[in-house]
Amino acid sequence: MDIYVHVGMFTRRFGRRIQQHFGERLVELYLQFGYGMMEHCRSLISQWGGGTAILSPRDLNDEQLSRLAATITKLPSGRVLLDPQFYLPHSDHERLCSHDYWPKDYQTHEFWQGGQALTDLLTKLNRLNQQLGCTEFILPGLHAATIDDDWLETQRAIMEEVDARAPNMPVLATIALSADAVRNQDQVALLLERSEEWKPRGYYIVCEHPNGRYLADDPIWLANILDLAAGFKLRGAKVILGYCNHQMLIAAATKADAIASGTWMNVRSFPPDKFRVAYDEEIKQRTTWYYCPQALSEYKIPFLDFANSRGVLQLMAPPKDLDGGFVTALFGGAQPTTVGFSEQAAFRHYLHCLHGQTAAAMRQTFDETVDHHRASLATARSLLTQLQAAAVRGQLRDFTEILDVNEAALSLLLTTRGPMLRRRWATL
Amino acid sequence: MSIDPAWLGTQFPDLTAIAPIGQGGQKVVFSAIHPTDGEVVLKLINPTHDPENARREVLAVINVQSTRVPKILDQGTVATSFGTSIWLREQRVNGKTLRECLQAGQFDTTKLLKLGLHMLEALVAAEQVHIVHRDVKPENIMCDGNDDFWLLDFGLARHLHLSSLTATAAHWGKGTPGYSPPEQLRNLKPNIDARSDLFALGVTLYECATGANPFIAGTRDALERIRRTETVTLPPLSLSFTAANDFRDLVQTMVQRRFDHRPATAAEAFDWMKEICAKENIT
Repeated sequence: MDIYVHVGMFTRRFGRRIQQHFGERLVELYLQFGYGMMEHCRSLISQWGGGTAILSPRDLNDEQLSRLAATITKLPSGRVLLDPQFYLPHSDHERLCSHDYWPKDYQTHEFWQGGQALTDLLTKLNRLNQQLGCTEFILPGLHAATIDDDWLETQRAIMEEVDARAPNMPVLATIALSADAVRNQDQVALLLERSEEWKPRGYYIVCEHPNGRYLADDPIWLANILDLAAGFKLRGAKVILGYCNHQMLIAAATKADAIASGTWMNVRSFPPDKFRVAYDEEIKQRTTWYYCPQALSEYKIPFLDFANSRGVLQLMAPPKDLDGGFVTALFGGAQPTTVGFSEQAAFRHYLHCLHGQTAAAMRQTFDETVDHHRASLATARSLLTQLQAAAVRGQLRDFTEILDVNEAALSLLLTTRGPMLRRRWATL
Repeated sequence: MSIDPAWLGTQFPDLTAIAPIGQGGQKVVFSAIHPTDGEVVLKLINPTHDPENARREVLAVINVQSTRVPKILDQGTVATSFGTSIWLREQRVNGKTLRECLQAGQFDTTKLLKLGLHMLEALVAAEQVHIVHRDVKPENIMCDGNDDFWLLDFGLARHLHLSSLTATAAHWGKGTPGYSPPEQLRNLKPNIDARSDLFALGVTLYECATGANPFIAGTRDALERIRRTETVTLPPLSLSFTAANDFRDLVQTMVQRRFDHRPATAAEAFDWMKEICAKENIT
């Protein structure tokens, strides 16, 4: 099994210290590109001394893709991956369809019958990946409403074509699943069973959230993602979980290699419809949120005013090792709503915290990793209790109801995959 | 099928001291003494039983080259009053079945770990020749006078490279409710491989560690055992010896309901078991 050591991903400030303390493998935070993220990617990867951005053809035209890739790959230890976003090939999303690799005439049956169209898609994507300087080739993969023979056949066809093409970089198979598919244990088991024949270097897993919720309140959904990630990891594959928010820090317990997150909600959870037609949520719904990492919750700024008035604001300040200096003004004594806390600072703070939290999430042993996550949940529970006693709430981004979801999912992972993960942790 | 040992003596003149030791639906079993092989077992397959099943049992034991499986020394057919019967002459193991051993209560650490080690050694040998035993349980495991364990009765063995003898449409697969895994009981043939035997051995080890099989204890019938197998998660073993937690983890992994949650191969489980035994100085 290859050992990937992405030394460039550790922050200058604390990453190397964590690396030395906990060993050479960490779960990484990749930046999931979305609307308005160009400057965030450049700035954060530069600040972190390296990092990986997953480029989004939906949000970037050809020229922008090339320019951003060049900018990032010129940074020290800067890397890019390209998510081809071939989730819904019938899409008429204007920018997505404008890319050269996107088939002009997609006919489901012909496409997957070993014709030239699939070959062309993979050939063009391979070329584009090389042009952009990608280090790994994320393969196209259809969004699975249901994990059934039809969908599995499309995955098999891609693997077969890739085997024939032998691209000159490691390939990552895309596993894009609907919320219903993820919730179905039999379907997840079927996927794990049938994928035993596939031999990609790794998997890029993107999962629709149940009921479209930002924080998933369904423990089976979360447990099945952990099961899937652990199943692939135990097979020696690399695992990247795309479109994540901080709830997926729990994936460290599967020894997943990376989680990817970004700015707006639609890159912190996977909304398939975003790839069907133009989607303008990012334009309409602009609210600035402060992420309190130790509470695993986010708060609208007026609630920070309220916390200030209740004397609990300082409890919400980020711990020093997660503080990138983006939120200093919020805790400087003035009313938080008066300090001009910007959307840009909110995003950078979120991603910087998440970067630190992912770096610290994976420990030397499975049990230590589980204990760390449980300790994080316990800390959050304690703080959330205090904040709620003062009527300070994160509303839809409050983690209170999610604590038990993560606990439950972790508990199931312990029962099913725990012994094997414990045994093979050091080799994964 | 009733066979007179005296009549049998006339058919197998090289055997002496022929005595019945057991009878099942598929075969009659005798002990005997052979002039060169010493103590042996003579098995006569019921002529009404599908001869292909018997042929495959023989093939399985011949192919599984393991010191933990009694060897077939000779074979042939004999005309009986019930029809032509296939016979097997096998190496005899003197000792008790695990079921008999369990009557004295749960196993001590050494015996428990040796059981796991020896049976996994046998299952690795089976795995190497693509054979699934499909009926690992205390009745089919012998413990000899040296506390060495032997895997018996490949009568239900599935040859993964041969066509199945169980009807694909059959609702239930062959096996023993309470020991066989869900995929076997439900006749999900494509899912049956060495991991199915790991499940049954895991349950057996669990029973030997605790003195009871939770899938069976207090059940009304086979259907309830199947339901338990499909729904009950066995609580982790609580034992106290140096490698107890490792052994707990191994057994917990082996008894997973989903086969993809179990060790990927018998060889992987065997390596794990060997590490545990090494910690306990058991060879």
